[in-house]
Amino acid sequence: MTATATPAPHPTGRTPAPDHRARRAYQRRRSLVNHLLVAPALLLSVLVVVVPGVLTAMAAFTDWTGIGFHADYVGLRNFTDILADPVFTTALGNNIKWLALFLSLPAVISLLTAWLLLRRRRTRTFYQVVYLMPYVLAPVVNAMVWLNIIYNPNGGVIGALHIDSPLSSLHGAIYAAAAVDMWHFWGFLTVVYFGALRQTPVEQVEAAIVDGAGSWQVFRHVYLPSIRPTLLLMGVMTVIFSFLAFDYVYLLTQGGPAHSSEVMGTYAYAFAFSAFEFGKASAVGLIMSFFGLIASCVYTWMSRRQLSS
Amino acid sequence: MSRSGIRALGAGLVAMAAVLSACSGGGSSSAGGRQTLQLWFWGASPQQQKTMQSVLVDGFDASQSKYDLKVTFNNAVDKNVQVALSANKGPDIVYGSGPAFSAAYAVQGKLADMTPYAEKYGWKDRILAPMYESGTAHGKLYSLPNSLNNLGVFYNKKVLAKLGVGVPATFTELTADMDKAAKAGLYPSVTGNKGWKPVNQNYISMFLTHVAGGKAVYDALQGKIKWTDPKIAKAVDDSAAFYKKGYLGGKDYANLNFVESMQLLAQGKSPFFFGPTLAFQFASDSFNDAAGNTSDLGFAPFPNVTAGLPSPSGTLGTTASLSINAHSAHKDGAAEVIDFMMSEKFAQQMNKSWPGYWGVPLKKFDLDPASYTGLSKAYVQSVKDTIATVSKGNYGFFAGTFFPPATATAFTDVDGVWLGTESTTDFLNKVQSTFAAEKAKGLVPPVPEPAG
Repeated sequence: MTATATPAPHPTGRTPAPDHRARRAYQRRRSLVNHLLVAPALLLSVLVVVVPGVLTAMAAFTDWTGIGFHADYVGLRNFTDILADPVFTTALGNNIKWLALFLSLPAVISLLTAWLLLRRRRTRTFYQVVYLMPYVLAPVVNAMVWLNIIYNPNGGVIGALHIDSPLSSLHGAIYAAAAVDMWHFWGFLTVVYFGALRQTPVEQVEAAIVDGAGSWQVFRHVYLPSIRPTLLLMGVMTVIFSFLAFDYVYLLTQGGPAHSSEVMGTYAYAFAFSAFEFGKASAVGLIMSFFGLIASCVYTWMSRRQLSS
Repeated sequence: MSRSGIRALGAGLVAMAAVLSACSGGGSSSAGGRQTLQLWFWGASPQQQKTMQSVLVDGFDASQSKYDLKVTFNNAVDKNVQVALSANKGPDIVYGSGPAFSAAYAVQGKLADMTPYAEKYGWKDRILAPMYESGTAHGKLYSLPNSLNNLGVFYNKKVLAKLGVGVPATFTELTADMDKAAKAGLYPSVTGNKGWKPVNQNYISMFLTHVAGGKAVYDALQGKIKWTDPKIAKAVDDSAAFYKKGYLGGKDYANLNFVESMQLLAQGKSPFFFGPTLAFQFASDSFNDAAGNTSDLGFAPFPNVTAGLPSPSGTLGTTASLSINAHSAHKDGAAEVIDFMMSEKFAQQMNKSWPGYWGVPLKKFDLDPASYTGLSKAYVQSVKDTIATVSKGNYGFFAGTFFPPATATAFTDVDGVWLGTESTTDFLNKVQSTFAAEKAKGLVPPVPEPAG
């Protein structure tokens, strides 16, 4: 037999029992401590993310030069000016090309390499280190290496092969810049995919092999479904990164020649730091964030859908 | 959490606040009773930094007993200055990549009015009029250029001799020489905008001067004619034709920078390099006494394309501008530094080991080229020649110096016309609308009228 202890009701108008007061004081103190613990991170987020974000959104509707504190409200003029500028169309198109390239080439090569690494039990650590090297180097170093050793017409690989540098081509410059960024990125993607592939339950793989599945079938029906969340996350991150592309384009072509390799990041930078038109730069920044936001929403929606199913 | 935990947390927060406070930095500190003056400068080479330290810093510190000068070198100086000034912080002496930068800062009240110092030190009487005026806005002085700069033709004497041609005196001779070089398998000229797109401004400015003429550009800056004027349109078209014929770096305009171009010129891969006199500083690695080829390098004015324009003529610019931070606590000290830099003695010493960057724009620039060695000799001569040309009123305007910032940026996009992605009309319409907006904001620096 079990006895259930029912707490006695508080007699109305009476002072709470001492242990109850102590518990409340303890809860208040604990709540205060929790708030204090959260405060630095919250404050930092507000200062570093929320405040600049709100200010950028506000600046997009002004003619702020980025120097003083004076700015006049210009309504949607920054947006209409940008949308009417053919360079913006080129920049947006290049960001979309960048996205298409990054969602295909590095993703496929990395996945393939990661799968091959699964079979290399002894040497895979070495390979992972090698693949990660371009990723851990600063973009400026990678860009200088490619500019001086590969794309240099006087003493570089391009010069030795007697071919024109793609960086001076209206049609090739964006691909030349993307190639360097993909070279720097794919090793990282390989290591991430490899880590995900290794999480696939061994029993499932063994069961598939026992059932007579070939290598491709094991990969297609066991590994791929297993790493789907990782693929999805990296896909979304790639979309976000693609619309934020800046460093390699800036370092290799500065958006040229004749804006042919312009991306929205370099387009905004020129407004902010060459023409002193921070209002327009902020408007471009908002448009860039919009694409990232869409990608994040799609990711959240797909994650929820996956959870519910 | 225990009381001791709360105490530890509190101590942590205090420590964090202290660290953040320390990171935020402070104003200028005093050392040994002297106040520290700050100057932020671009990331010069170690040798150039050494020269700056011995001539400017040590020289200024020794010249008075109130201030210590500290120079910080950083390649992102323009961006750093812009951000710092926005927050009412930054160095006492404000470096800018030309008066167009300082005009934008002046309009926002970030720079101190230097007119009282100009009167005190007699700057207006000492400095070349176009150079002095370039730093004024609404009748007040906000910046002074550290050096004048002229766009012209660098040539390798040995290559010209090998091609059997002399230094070109006319545009026809120049193009004929370049055609000959191309036939000999050389670059017609070496130059490029690798790593710095505004290099385009050099070449469009050069064509504006030698096709449309300095007077037409002056009229456009005054708003008397539009930037879509046929004279200016012809200058843009001629620059495009020049580019398309490969006269600007052949196929490698996007793959060369000034340092590489000077290397190629020294290696005899081309007879010419078109560019600003500041390129002398990039030439010193390739043309020097150790290599025994210093005397191979020559500099001449770019010949006029349109007949009847004053000749010889130059495209006048500056390498940088010096201003005083409106929020500096040591404006007098900053003015003293600028005055120190606006002297013949300073120019004399800096040019000994750093040719190309210190052609102090003095009316009386009595430096004797014969007393210099290496490239300094040719550079000092080029500065003297430029001053003589400017004194006669034979000059045009370099976009990066005399045009307001967004207009100068719009001119950077001239490569769209060169590469055929944009028509001259569309390009100039964009320039005109950008300029009109900036003129309305009072961002156009006043300039003296050239002769023609």
